[in-house]
Amino acid sequence: MLEIKNLHARIVDDGTEIIRGLNLTVRAGEVAAIMGPNGSGKSTLSYILAGREDYEVTEGDILYNGESILEMDPAERATSGIFLAFQYPMEIPGVATMEFLKVAMNEQRKARGEEPLKIPEFLKRVKDAAASLNMDMAMLKRPLNVGFSGGEKKRAEILQMKLLEPKLCVLDETDSGLDIDALKIVADGVNALRSPDRAIVVITHYQRLLQYIVPDTVHVLYRGQVIKSGDKSLALDLEANGYAGVIGQAA
Amino acid sequence: MPAVQDTIDRVRKIDVDQYKYGFQTEIAMDKAPKGLSEDIIRFISAKKDEPSWMLEWRLGAYRRWVTLDEPKWARVHYPKIDFQDLHYYAAPKSTPGPTSLSDVDPELLRVYEKLGIPLKEQEILAGVQKTDVSEFEEASDNVYKSGRVAVDAVFDSVSVVTTFKKELAQAGVIFCSISEAIREHPELVKKYLGSVVPTSDNFYATLNSAVFTDGSFVFVPKGVRCPMELSTYFRMNEKNTGQFERTLIIAEEGAYVSYLEGCTAPQRDENQLHAAVVELIALDDAEIKYSTVQNWYPGDAEGKGGIYNFVTKRGDCRGDRSKISWTQVETGSAITWKYPSCILRGDDSSGEFYSIAVSNGYQQVDSGTKMIHLGKNTSSRIISKGIAAGFSQNTYRGQVSAHRKATNARNFTNCDSLLIGDQCGAHTVPYMEAKNATAQFEHEATTSKISEDQKFYVMQRGIPEEEAIALIVNGFVKDVIQQLPMEFAVEAQKLIGISLEGSVG
Amino acid sequence: MNIHTIPQRTPAETALIDAFSDRLSLLPGDGKVMLKRDDAIEAIKSGLPTRRIESWHYTDLRRLLTSVPDFDPAAAPKAIAPVVEGSAVLPVLNGVSSAKLPDIEGIAVQRLSEKLTDGSIAPGLDPYGADDAIGALNTAFVADGYFVDIADGTELDKPIELQNLQSGGQTHVRLGVRVGAGAKAVIVERQTGEGAALVSSVSQLLLDEGADVTWLIVQEQPDTATHLAQFKAHLGKDSKLTLFVMNAGGKLVRQEIVVKTTGEGADFTLRGINLLAGDTHTDVTMVLDHTVPHTASTEVIRNVVTGRARGVFQGRINVHQYAQKTNAKMACNTLLLSDDGEFSTKPELEIFADDVVCGHGATVTEIDHDHLFYLMARGIDEKTARGFLVKAFVAEVIEELDDEAIVEALEARLDDWFVAHG
Repeated sequence: MLEIKNLHARIVDDGTEIIRGLNLTVRAGEVAAIMGPNGSGKSTLSYILAGREDYEVTEGDILYNGESILEMDPAERATSGIFLAFQYPMEIPGVATMEFLKVAMNEQRKARGEEPLKIPEFLKRVKDAAASLNMDMAMLKRPLNVGFSGGEKKRAEILQMKLLEPKLCVLDETDSGLDIDALKIVADGVNALRSPDRAIVVITHYQRLLQYIVPDTVHVLYRGQVIKSGDKSLALDLEANGYAGVIGQAA
Repeated sequence: MPAVQDTIDRVRKIDVDQYKYGFQTEIAMDKAPKGLSEDIIRFISAKKDEPSWMLEWRLGAYRRWVTLDEPKWARVHYPKIDFQDLHYYAAPKSTPGPTSLSDVDPELLRVYEKLGIPLKEQEILAGVQKTDVSEFEEASDNVYKSGRVAVDAVFDSVSVVTTFKKELAQAGVIFCSISEAIREHPELVKKYLGSVVPTSDNFYATLNSAVFTDGSFVFVPKGVRCPMELSTYFRMNEKNTGQFERTLIIAEEGAYVSYLEGCTAPQRDENQLHAAVVELIALDDAEIKYSTVQNWYPGDAEGKGGIYNFVTKRGDCRGDRSKISWTQVETGSAITWKYPSCILRGDDSSGEFYSIAVSNGYQQVDSGTKMIHLGKNTSSRIISKGIAAGFSQNTYRGQVSAHRKATNARNFTNCDSLLIGDQCGAHTVPYMEAKNATAQFEHEATTSKISEDQKFYVMQRGIPEEEAIALIVNGFVKDVIQQLPMEFAVEAQKLIGISLEGSVG
Repeated sequence: MNIHTIPQRTPAETALIDAFSDRLSLLPGDGKVMLKRDDAIEAIKSGLPTRRIESWHYTDLRRLLTSVPDFDPAAAPKAIAPVVEGSAVLPVLNGVSSAKLPDIEGIAVQRLSEKLTDGSIAPGLDPYGADDAIGALNTAFVADGYFVDIADGTELDKPIELQNLQSGGQTHVRLGVRVGAGAKAVIVERQTGEGAALVSSVSQLLLDEGADVTWLIVQEQPDTATHLAQFKAHLGKDSKLTLFVMNAGGKLVRQEIVVKTTGEGADFTLRGINLLAGDTHTDVTMVLDHTVPHTASTEVIRNVVTGRARGVFQGRINVHQYAQKTNAKMACNTLLLSDDGEFSTKPELEIFADDVVCGHGATVTEIDHDHLFYLMARGIDEKTARGFLVKAFVAEVIEELDDEAIVEALEARLDDWFVAHG
């Protein structure tokens, strides 16, 4: 489903190279965890997948369902099924969360050639999804992410992910700022989305989240490259022994 | 060459899409010859069948006007207007004063139909369709849930029809064209006309006083809550014609009225002049809410054509505990020069100004308000949101003053500007003048651009760039949109989106 | 409004024009300088600015300047102790500089009369805009002052105090300072005296790359004097200017501040205090141009208005199209303590670049009743408590200057004012 080939990318503003020859393949139905120490390029990778203009791909390619996405803008990538759950979701004053969800869901439908959702159906879907995440509907009447706590923001991200039904989900440090109860709810939400035609990429610094979202594969990112791949035991190994060992082996 | 053709098509497309009200209508017109003189004023006054005091009032204003110069202080630039090269009166021929809808030229009715303005009462009674957005949004505090709106339609120089007159009359509310009011209610007009904006007020107001042709008149008697929204719809159709409407709204003790105003004009290469005067008078405990959605033709993508909009709007909180609230959404006009103001004369009176001004292309906006605190315990609130895109210049200019006797005057001002693109300008010019030690003024202003982070976030959810910007902008202006009656709010949001089309390069 | 009028010359205008003819033979200057003087007096002949001129909206100079004193060659003020102890003092007494120039390493001082005579100052005499009445007045009549050049890399350990002292009549003074690359200095501009003088004073400051200057304007004219002053600065790359302005005197005062950031990374800070009393008029007008990318500015003005005083702050921040990433913030807070006093504020933003963060805030208030109550509940009587709060309101701005000697010196000036006007 996702194939990253020898990817090199740098920050447009100052030319700093962050991703240096990264290779990664994620199949449909797979949950892949990307781990790595701070500054290894994890968040940058998520931004590049979503098409952020602050980064420039200088070499290599990203194939999604066999086709390059490099020329697509963020909205096109999103309607083709790529979803990024942000580490720091943006606050957008004045924009009602419900209104935003409706517009976003209908954009997905438009891309698939479907009619816009009828209001009752839309409301039902949002209510069901919110209930499954233990979210209060009152929260959704507020402006998008404005005044949400860290945990509320993360839950709202997963809510959006559920509603937009993406094919490739990228979760950037979704566990940060969550207490254990919230973490379980979020993980349940993600697990419920596991399906044979969907891939999930979980970016995390710690093994903590992976106790609840058990990955099929684990990849260690260091200095903009995947230096080691393995199954879920690799995560446990990292937790026990730290990154130093793996980095040492690679060097 | 295909590339050139492509450009032409694109420009054409932008024009047509962006200004969907740009059609012209062929209607037989009765026009005054070009130019301005005492004879023309006599002609207008005679056409309107006015009493002699009205003619004298106009002539007085005209004699004053010829001694005045155009004001230069606003941040707008335009070639000198030749005031002798305009028609000062144009009226559809079929209207010696229609008394019912059946008298109105069907072609004219079609114009309003095309504009989406319902003039047939039975259609309005059928109810305005609820939009789907409103269903899950919190109910607004709008009192007119029924969606019934009485409309006064003004086509160039004359009012063509006013709806719901009968029902309003039962409540004691007078809602008619100002021409009719001059004939039918001279004592009210004499008492209030020019009492807020005197004939000597400023260049454009003085011109208007001399040549105004039509507009609306509202009188809500003591203790009456006007049973429905009142609305005037202005349409400027004739070429080389100035539109000079005059609106006068009086709310007696304890009365309440909400009034809406909408404007459009056809697309023309020449600039058209619009110089209106609006006067509001609120007596003790009265409240007037005045909302405007101004969408005059802004000119094409190269800045050719468009309306010059020089408007004087002022409300007088004459009575104690009275309240006047201005809400405006300004998306049109090549030039906007407009400062709806409140004179807070009565003790405990309050004034509000909520404004959204969107400029794109080569539009120039210089708009804001004046809050003049004269009475004790008066308060005012100003929320202004300016959005500049393209090559436009967008200026907020506002004055807040507390006079010696204005004990405990309070003002809160917030003006935020948003810039889209690096060829436009946003300017803030607030004047604050305090002459009373108990006055408390608070002013905040910010200027920024749409954050790239916000835009990326919204686009990541599959929303294309232009829509993402429109969404963020609509969030930015939310505080003001909320002040509009529901039907207008939805329309205004769409209008803002349309106005910003083509702003993303 | 807008009625055609043919202005008649006011007595002040006539007096200035006549004085120019009288003084002409005494004014130093080569051909270039004299041409500038001619242009300047022409500008005055076309009339002093009125409230119709936007930048003079709240200070109608034509109306407010009711009379102009004659030049008084006998006036002889004496140099006074500097604000900060140990400063090197450059006195200008009744418009005349001292022939005895200090000898400080890294500093070259020249009398301005010499630079007028040889014409080297001529380009600096141009007006900065169409409505530059103070510049015109000064250019027409200026006879002396100083030019100070601080060499690259010089770090002064003591302030330089430029003392402009009057004892009546007219004085027109110009101070020019260039601060070389990487140099660091504290400069005090002292404006005071004892007479009912008409003073015009223009200061020009040029900051080279990386220069770091704190400039303090301490204006304490008597309430009979008219003080028309201008401070102009260009900020080069990575330079830093902290300008502190204290107005605590004068009958009719206008202090203009004209600052341009000309190099990337330049940083401008303005802190101002206006202490207004009696029947006086004080106007601080700033025009700040951000002309290059990545520059920053903050301005905080605090005003205390008592008696029948009228105060004005106009602050205009222009962000030019090329000046992306500008960060500008301005605040003007006023305590209006008298029903007969008034304060007018016009904080303008003119923005042509889109990637900027700019804002301003302004408040006019009375003393916070909660604060007052709190102090009184602790047994402090009302008058003392009020004085305490008012002083705290302005002292806050002074305390931001992180040099202890300067803070102490300025607080002493503040105390003097409160003692005189408490």
